[in-house]
Amino acid sequence: MDVLARFLVLLSAVLALAAAVFEDQVGKFDWRRQYVGKVQFAYFDTQTQASKKLLVATDQNVIASINSRTGELLWRQLDKSGSEGYIDATLFHGQDAVVVSGNGRFLRSWETNIGGLNWEMVLDTGSFQFATFIGVQDTVKYVAVLKETAISLHYLSNGHQKWVENLPDSETVTYQLVYSGGNGIVYVLGLTTRSHLTIIAYNLEDGEILSQVLVQCPWIVSLHSNCAIVGEGNLVCADSETRSLYTLALETGRTLTQVTMQSLDLSLEEGFQPHIIATQPNPALNAHAQFFLQLGPHHYSLLQLQQDIISPVRDFQQTLLVTFATTGDKTVAVVVSSKNQTAYNINLFSADSGRRLLDTLTTVNLTPGEGPLVKAYVHAFLKKDDSVGYRVLLQTEDDSLIFVQQPGKILWTREEALADVVSMEMVDLPLTGTQAELEGEFGKKAAIQDGLLGMVFKRLSSQLILLQAWISHLWKMFYDARKPRSQVKNEVTIETLARDEFNLQKMMVMVTASGKLFGMESSSGTILWKHYLPGIHRTASLKLVVQRTTAHFPHPPQCTLLIKNKESGLTTLHVFNPIFGRKSHIVPPVLSRPVLQSLLLPIMDQDYAKVLLLIDDEYKVTAFPSSKNVLQQLQAIASSIFFCLVDAEQGKLSGFRLHKDLTTEQIWEVVIPTEVQKISVVKGKKANEHVHSQGRVMGDRSVLYKYLNPNLLAVVTESVDTHQERSFVGIYLIDGVTGRIIHEAVQRKARGPIYVVHSENWVVYEYWNTKSRRNEFSVLELYEGTEQYNSTAFSSLDRPQPPQVLQQSYIFPSPISMLEATITEKGITSRHLLVGLPSGAILSLPKMFLDPRRPEVPSEQSREENLIPYAPELPIRSEWFINYNQSVSRVKGIYTAPSGLESTCLVVAYGLDIYQTRVFPSKQFDVLKDDYDYVLISSVLLGLVFATMITKRLAQVKLLNRAWR
Amino acid sequence: MWLALCTVFPTLWSVIYGFNEQDLPAVSGQPNGDRFKIEGRAVVPGIRAQDWISSARVLVEGEEHVGFFRTDGSFTVNDVPFGSYVLEIVSPAYKFEPVRVDITSKGKMRARMVNYIKTSEVIRLPYPLQLRSSGSPSYFLKRETWGWTDFLMNPMVMMMVLPLLIIVLLPKVVNTNDPEMRREMEQSMNMLNPNHELPDVSEFMTKLFSSKSSGKSGSSSKTGKSGPMKRR
Repeated sequence: MDVLARFLVLLSAVLALAAAVFEDQVGKFDWRRQYVGKVQFAYFDTQTQASKKLLVATDQNVIASINSRTGELLWRQLDKSGSEGYIDATLFHGQDAVVVSGNGRFLRSWETNIGGLNWEMVLDTGSFQFATFIGVQDTVKYVAVLKETAISLHYLSNGHQKWVENLPDSETVTYQLVYSGGNGIVYVLGLTTRSHLTIIAYNLEDGEILSQVLVQCPWIVSLHSNCAIVGEGNLVCADSETRSLYTLALETGRTLTQVTMQSLDLSLEEGFQPHIIATQPNPALNAHAQFFLQLGPHHYSLLQLQQDIISPVRDFQQTLLVTFATTGDKTVAVVVSSKNQTAYNINLFSADSGRRLLDTLTTVNLTPGEGPLVKAYVHAFLKKDDSVGYRVLLQTEDDSLIFVQQPGKILWTREEALADVVSMEMVDLPLTGTQAELEGEFGKKAAIQDGLLGMVFKRLSSQLILLQAWISHLWKMFYDARKPRSQVKNEVTIETLARDEFNLQKMMVMVTASGKLFGMESSSGTILWKHYLPGIHRTASLKLVVQRTTAHFPHPPQCTLLIKNKESGLTTLHVFNPIFGRKSHIVPPVLSRPVLQSLLLPIMDQDYAKVLLLIDDEYKVTAFPSSKNVLQQLQAIASSIFFCLVDAEQGKLSGFRLHKDLTTEQIWEVVIPTEVQKISVVKGKKANEHVHSQGRVMGDRSVLYKYLNPNLLAVVTESVDTHQERSFVGIYLIDGVTGRIIHEAVQRKARGPIYVVHSENWVVYEYWNTKSRRNEFSVLELYEGTEQYNSTAFSSLDRPQPPQVLQQSYIFPSPISMLEATITEKGITSRHLLVGLPSGAILSLPKMFLDPRRPEVPSEQSREENLIPYAPELPIRSEWFINYNQSVSRVKGIYTAPSGLESTCLVVAYGLDIYQTRVFPSKQFDVLKDDYDYVLISSVLLGLVFATMITKRLAQVKLLNRAWR
Repeated sequence: MWLALCTVFPTLWSVIYGFNEQDLPAVSGQPNGDRFKIEGRAVVPGIRAQDWISSARVLVEGEEHVGFFRTDGSFTVNDVPFGSYVLEIVSPAYKFEPVRVDITSKGKMRARMVNYIKTSEVIRLPYPLQLRSSGSPSYFLKRETWGWTDFLMNPMVMMMVLPLLIIVLLPKVVNTNDPEMRREMEQSMNMLNPNHELPDVSEFMTKLFSSKSSGKSGSSSKTGKSGPMKRR
């Protein structure tokens, strides 16, 4: 009984250790930013001035509603990631948003006020082509979905299918457009490339084919951009080869009417594919008779088609974007032209006459660092005096959204590029101006110039400055303390950036897939700088390296971004200052061969920049920076530089050594046969990790020494055969220098996705158990044994004994989306695993639970070691969620960084959202707690002082009285 | 290794219910196979559906299949091939228990409790699913609050305060000025301490300690003085 009780006490003590959040800490040092991704479709709610709702669908398979006044999310729904949830089309009508997703698999209708589903339909398989509303008698009643082989009509109210018809000749004809002018006939347009056009008219009521027309047009390529439906059911196409427009009335036409652009006084730019932009404001009515023809990258023309005659309305030169907007019965053309690099002019023109509307000019000044504009969504409304007012949502090439109100006021900006962060680093903030001055005072040059007296004077003056700064700091603290906390807002700007005493604030440098770089201040999430790198393809792999930290004043910190193009394999470097985002003047080397691997060496050049080694596909090495000093250092230590290349496609791991002349030589190779298994994860250890204790003290007072091999790689493979009985997961621990396989294990009846964390002397990995259909964690720990072979240094080349490997597995009662471990300055604090769950929670799981020495039957010794007895299932407790209810959707990465406090680890989880917080795996043992009761302690102290004073006085009186007696 | 020891795999139930484990594929996603739908309804007691559904989703086996809530709190997860799945409702504000749903290749559905340790144990749940929130999850730890009662009820404080009370109050209760009483007390003291020759233990101790501490302080002062001497 006693034993059990003691065990319970121990267990509860262990559980209390785990990191958790107190309610009053909410929002104190954590923040979350929610994003939606690159907007594909955007719609404004009702066409009134008071409307606030903006509905967007994005490439991240998100449908969301944004408050158009503030830019905050009203609600957001996430579909499956990847192509299965890809949003093909979005239509908006009244309060309903109809979304086709998953390549035409799902048809959903969303209630846009509350963010719930009206209905959901599963459609037949078939590749999606087009979707549109179909109206009849002035009301929108149906949704038409065009697939490669069939067209189906659904009721808007409940999603039920009205009819579905197979399309004739769908093997040869690509159907691309559906049109209905509200007259009970549905036209489906298809084409056979460079041959003919097929127009099929369906009866809206029963889906019967009314007519089927073949029109010869040998120039046709695509209906989507080259053609549009204009006016009362007229097809208008533009062709670049013959430089002419073709028109055809869908109802009656049998042949295309050709109108040359020359006859309309239009000149198409050489080699430009013309586009036609038309509008159909109400699907139950005919399309508008006016349309835009794009003649060049910055040249548009507004045309109209009336009585089968095309006539020009107005020409727009030097125009970036054009779009139509409708409010009430008024349709306007919105024209965006660029004023200079960052300023844009927006004008409204009447679509019917082409006249410029008065008082509609809006000039938008964008902050530098934004990409060029790509799209404009206009919210037009009728003002009280019946004139047209508008607000514009601008979208830039780097996915940011800028909402502009007349006359040129930017209401909000959303940096949607941050929905797809690929890589990030945290950099210490620089010293303040005064601190920097102090540092500069003792520079070598200064000492020679000034002499002794000058130096003394300088010292005194700098001390004075420090004193001044300290007093002003105290004053500010005193001043702020009187105000309630909510009012105190420390505005962080690039000027006021300074390191705090515990180095808890850092600069987060984020690299996004769109090629935009961000610098965020970590404690508040304020974006301090942004820099757009144009021309980066979204598939390019990006790697961020910190070459010089802020510690080397007056040299500016330096980061290097490696940009590898997926197709060509060529790599370019972008060198910049991570604090200000400015491009560095240092010229990076030009790399003519694809780079396979980059290595950041601990050696530094004379300017304290760490050396980056780049290995190309001929195994030649380029050093950056490559000054003479660096090359000398490299020659000196070349014999101790090894690197390992992994070719996952061929299942090959190969080790190389560096020669003095920067050539390389292969020294080992491990081949994992790709017919059986494929390499899925290769994980080394973090370079900035410190291990505080070399071993573990066991219950019998002996020490179990850890096997701390910094060159160890954990390689995880998955079987090619995915059958549940035969699939397996293999784990290999390979020494990266010698290629020796330290340990290998096979987990049968297991498959990926696999998440691995490799740190200190342990590897934790998570896999799916196909037999029991559950997720399992497995931990491997490596020990040298009770004797240490060489306690001063570790060498991979001199290790006669293989390490002892301990392993244990546990059930984890949830799938996971990410796995990472906490890290602290000196490694004294106990470690926690940060587990991203699909629900958006981030679980802080003590590493104690993943300890292969957890005994099945607790003994006296195991209790003394604080080992928790083995339990097959790992607990998930909501108190361990470090982000409480601030769920982080689709976690793609968790970045951990040590702070200046040993107890504190900075955590950034990024995915669709970004969440930053601090975790205290062993509680805050090195600072006073937040709830430290200053009042109580000071009142007790004061009370004691008074008590001593009073008793002293009393004692004196008593002594005096006794003396008198 | 340990895991295998702790788990038992009875396969009896599969026969009884006409389910066959082997039918259930490990990898879902056969494009030609039949697709089924999982239906259900979730309720948060006391909260209208439209107030919580916008931040909630239905996840089947992670994010393998996703379902959304209708405005009345019901949901359907479409396009699910046969197999066994854990269905979970994720909502940051409300907690729901996960459910395991089995679908046979013929489309027969069954819902049961999730048990990761005994994976084949069947405790049936109604299908279509009826899920009820068990309230809000507790994300926060309670701060240790400080109150006078906690302080006073502390055993250390009690041990100190009670003797103090006795020392202060007892002489007042018993009148020491009464000569009869004093005599009585002296008698009782004598009875307690019959042997006058023996020295009082407490006295002895105080003497001992006082002499020791004085000696110590002397020696420490000596070393204090000798310190700088040596350094010189």
